[in-house]
Amino acid sequence: MADVDLTTDLAGIELANPVLLASGTAGYGNELAPIIDLPRLGGIILKSVTSEPRRGNPEPRIWETSSGMLNSIGLENVGIDALVDEVLPSLKDIGLPVLASIAGDTVRAFARLGAKLENAGGLAGIEVNVSCPNVERGGIQFGVDPGATKAVVMAVKENCSLPVFVKLSAAVADIARIAEAAGQAGAFGLSLINTVPGLAIDAAKRKPRLGAVTGGLSGPAIKPIALKAVWDCYRATGLPIIGGGGIYDSEDAVEFLLAGAAAVSLGSAIFQEPQRAIELVDGLPDAIRRAGAASARELVGGLRT
Amino acid sequence: MNEAARVPVSSTAVLRRRDEVARDMHVLTLKIESQVLPPLPGQFYQVDCGGGREHLLPRPIGALDAHLDSAGLTLAFLVESVGWGTARLCSLEQGESIGVFGPLGRGFGALPEGRALVVAGGAGFAPLHFLATEMDKNSKEYDLLAGIASKDKFIAGLSTLRGPVEVYSDDGSMGTRGLVCDAAGLWLDKGGFTKVYACGPEPMMAVVAHASEARGIPCEVSLDSRMACGIGACRGCVKAGAGGHNLCVCTEGPVFDSREVLWAEAGRQGEGRDG
Repeated sequence: MADVDLTTDLAGIELANPVLLASGTAGYGNELAPIIDLPRLGGIILKSVTSEPRRGNPEPRIWETSSGMLNSIGLENVGIDALVDEVLPSLKDIGLPVLASIAGDTVRAFARLGAKLENAGGLAGIEVNVSCPNVERGGIQFGVDPGATKAVVMAVKENCSLPVFVKLSAAVADIARIAEAAGQAGAFGLSLINTVPGLAIDAAKRKPRLGAVTGGLSGPAIKPIALKAVWDCYRATGLPIIGGGGIYDSEDAVEFLLAGAAAVSLGSAIFQEPQRAIELVDGLPDAIRRAGAASARELVGGLRT
Repeated sequence: MNEAARVPVSSTAVLRRRDEVARDMHVLTLKIESQVLPPLPGQFYQVDCGGGREHLLPRPIGALDAHLDSAGLTLAFLVESVGWGTARLCSLEQGESIGVFGPLGRGFGALPEGRALVVAGGAGFAPLHFLATEMDKNSKEYDLLAGIASKDKFIAGLSTLRGPVEVYSDDGSMGTRGLVCDAAGLWLDKGGFTKVYACGPEPMMAVVAHASEARGIPCEVSLDSRMACGIGACRGCVKAGAGGHNLCVCTEGPVFDSREVLWAEAGRQGEGRDG
């Protein structure tokens, strides 16, 4: 039987396979590099950085839920300067495409973050995070509004020539409208979806499980939500999509390709077992064959309705 | 040992035996049939309880004991059944296997020159038992204070230690009635201790830490936290540090100098963990 072709083309960005590690779950790359064979993956999206370092939200920050987990990290990060001066140079030999992720609390902040990445080197693209549910300013405030999303994307594009992927939230009335706005502003592609806002309660204490009260839900529980978001945005925009939310194995990844994702992002499942990322890549050829294809590319958007 | 050699690995561990050593508390003895790195006292593993998609997160569990021989690594955990994951571990049958990822984190520092006071609360006994075993091997002197809720939570395995063990129970059903953390100060006042170790519920560790600091005796504490990645990538497990920065429990800890921790009583916004 002929080999299955896993190569992926994100409108010009060539990936060895469509499997990326999702922002926030894979740190800055250095943490996982000694543990799993990163070059086996298609790429990695680094943890979101902000203009200044952030301490993040009060603990507890993690709570397991049915088929998923809530987190409220609150964008704890080293800041853009440390990313550019220390992190990116240290990833020079990491052996797979790297995307940075930026989060600003104003349009101007996004512009400055983009400018700092313009000449940083070593990046295949940028994820623009307008959908973090765990910060008081910025975050999802941008991602729920087509005009604000457009303004952010334009500000980044004016200051940075790297391909821009806009990370959106599905917790909006009509994600396709937001995606269209991002496309009109010149977004290269979309990254779908961020965690879904949620709340867990300890009834006996009448207290929230998380220090910041609410958090973002990830894991298998959100997969149907994510698949629909990918399908809606694919049909509305045709933009290249990095699709993820609840991916656990290669079968899940194929479902995202069928919904219209050109590549997929694996997040919370690597917490259960970091090697799951490698297992997912190993399982892809068979999963693609079972869907009746010989390459990852021909499955993209191939859902029959 | 160099850094590369300390990289944690994913392994399949087969249950060799499971013993209920106290009510709802089980010692799991597991075998990893390869020459993997043994843990140091205070280090932990991310244990996949076999929940698949339904229970995504592994449980961080400190090593109780470890022994490497030509057949591989024998690894013991003390698990208290408190939720789905731990209950699943406490019902594993001989021959069943689970995934473990580790060893993780930074364990206890160099063994002390003088006499140590070791203060354990509940299941916090596990990493301290591992430490005390190490002290026994190195002919170090210590007193171990074990705090339990009641007699049915007493772990008879304590008797295998060479050092003296003093039991404190909340209800007076065994040993001395009272909180082990309150007893720590009285023991330190007897004099002669050069080091304190504590592991248990956070408010208990806070009292032991304050008692040690007030007497100028260094104290190491082993913190517990909800955790996702175990390798410092997700920042889910952090605790507030005394220096105004975050402590990453999974990589900078779980063992910390007690002075590095911002304890709840000192005006933290978070609430102290109670297990």
